[in-house]
Amino acid sequence: MSRPRLRLSSVALNLSVAGLALIWLVPVYLIIVNAISDQSKYTGTPRWFPAKFGFFGNLKSAWQAANFGQTAVNSLIYATFCAAAAVLIATLAAYALVALDLRRPSLWFWIIYSGTLLPLQVFARPLFLAEAQVNLYDTKWGLSIVYIALCIPFAMFVVRNVLVSVPKEIPEAARLDGANWFRMFLHVHLPLARSAMAAAFVFQFVYIWNELFFGITLSISPNVQPVMASLATLEGPYSTTSQPAVLAVAIVVALPTIALFLGFQRFFVSSLKTNL
Amino acid sequence: MAQTTIAAAPGDPRGSSGAALKVRHPRRPAVEFVGPVVCLTLAVVLIVGVLLVPFGFTGYRSFFSNGLNPVYVGFANYKTIFHDPILVKSLINTLMWVVGSLVLPVGVGLGIAVMTNQLKWGKAARLAIVLPYALSGTAVAVVGGFMLRSDGAINQMLGAFGLGGLQHQWLLTWPSNTICAILVSVWQATGVAVVLYMVGLQGIPAETLEAAALDGAAGLKRFRYIIIPQLRPVTAVVVGITLANALRAFDVTWVLTNGGPARTSETLALSMYSETFLAERPGVGAAIAILLTAIVLASSWAYLRKQTGDAHE
Repeated sequence: MSRPRLRLSSVALNLSVAGLALIWLVPVYLIIVNAISDQSKYTGTPRWFPAKFGFFGNLKSAWQAANFGQTAVNSLIYATFCAAAAVLIATLAAYALVALDLRRPSLWFWIIYSGTLLPLQVFARPLFLAEAQVNLYDTKWGLSIVYIALCIPFAMFVVRNVLVSVPKEIPEAARLDGANWFRMFLHVHLPLARSAMAAAFVFQFVYIWNELFFGITLSISPNVQPVMASLATLEGPYSTTSQPAVLAVAIVVALPTIALFLGFQRFFVSSLKTNL
Repeated sequence: MAQTTIAAAPGDPRGSSGAALKVRHPRRPAVEFVGPVVCLTLAVVLIVGVLLVPFGFTGYRSFFSNGLNPVYVGFANYKTIFHDPILVKSLINTLMWVVGSLVLPVGVGLGIAVMTNQLKWGKAARLAIVLPYALSGTAVAVVGGFMLRSDGAINQMLGAFGLGGLQHQWLLTWPSNTICAILVSVWQATGVAVVLYMVGLQGIPAETLEAAALDGAAGLKRFRYIIIPQLRPVTAVVVGITLANALRAFDVTWVLTNGGPARTSETLALSMYSETFLAERPGVGAAIAILLTAIVLASSWAYLRKQTGDAHE
């Protein structure tokens, strides 16, 4: 008796999942079709079927229109260098909070962690003025310092979550063996924190690669701006670049984060879970 | 006293700071305190210098007038926000973002996780929905623009299906431009909710579900009385993440509509930018930033409180 009802509900289930997947996939399909069809075939309205392969031609014209070569290199530098620096600094701080005999550890924790609670907009103008004052505005260092500071709180949080679970006996034993704080960090805590550090690095790399707000408030010239600023200019109201070219370049600048995301999906999930 | 101890340690480990420490740990050499100082300094200096001091400065600035020679004006900038129709609309848009980007990613994400969990091809369907989460807000907005422009794919589809009457200048009229920006960001953000809910679903013990089945709870009943309560901690995380992202969202709206036309699709995050850097009204811009901070902090607090409240149940 219950069998026909079951079948009906399973049909409904399959249909609704298929419908939702379709809603999510139609834009993806259209981007790919239009990005690979040659610009000359684009009439001003989206194509539904591919025509004349021209992906690399599209890419080339957009690439030149907005200095993508330069800004992609900039973003690669920011993402690699700033994420690495932030994770290292954050790991040292997490080690101090967890393992060293610190007074008021929770005060220091909240001072560092408060960075994640404030919206970016609240820092923008003072940083802009200060950087203009000390000639850091529109320099790679100017953006790097801000990115490193922005990445420290969450990286510290992720690494600390792991270090907290280290049994107290381990550092005590190391201390009895005569290890000073630096040796203890290097030989006990750093190895234990390694996978959390990797997770935090991937997370912050993606964050910096995708960042736009400070890229447009703290820099203006192409040899400093990050790659998303280039993409935003192309899509802006004054752009004359054709849609297939914009889409081609949007796909290419998304590839690093898609690759990282798919490769390290488990990292992403576990670092998000630690938010609990 | 803790501060002075830490500050004095690196320069002179055996000085007065060492004496202060001896009271607490008679056998520990003062040189031990070099460790915490070295480890904490860079992080604290960067956070305080780059984030907290600018935050304080913005708060201070919000009480001074715009222009070249700012004078103290009390809460006038804050009053301006509520009297300027553009900024009031920006506030309304921000609230729409909060509601829309809370209800949709959380609701749709839960639905997709539960539905695909029972399907053989569920993994493939999930991948399609999770993929946009890996894109930047800027790239997502490029995609959204392609779909929603007046000559974009959505209007084209409506025309093809004989629904030309439903065609609309999606990005050119309020409130549809704000709603579209929200939907575009939902397209991106639902993936993370799905991933987290999948983790939550896999964490529900099989015995619980079997016991429910024995008691005759199936289908919607099981969903309502067994699965939802079990997923509550995950829901708290999903709500927290989507809320924070929605309030700070800048790139999607900036690239999709530039806040326009006529600033009708601005959110507070964008209004701060246009007031401060484009309209050169830094006092009002600072007040908007502080108002946004207050909203972010209040909602984080409410969310944290609810979360700890759940834990006590």
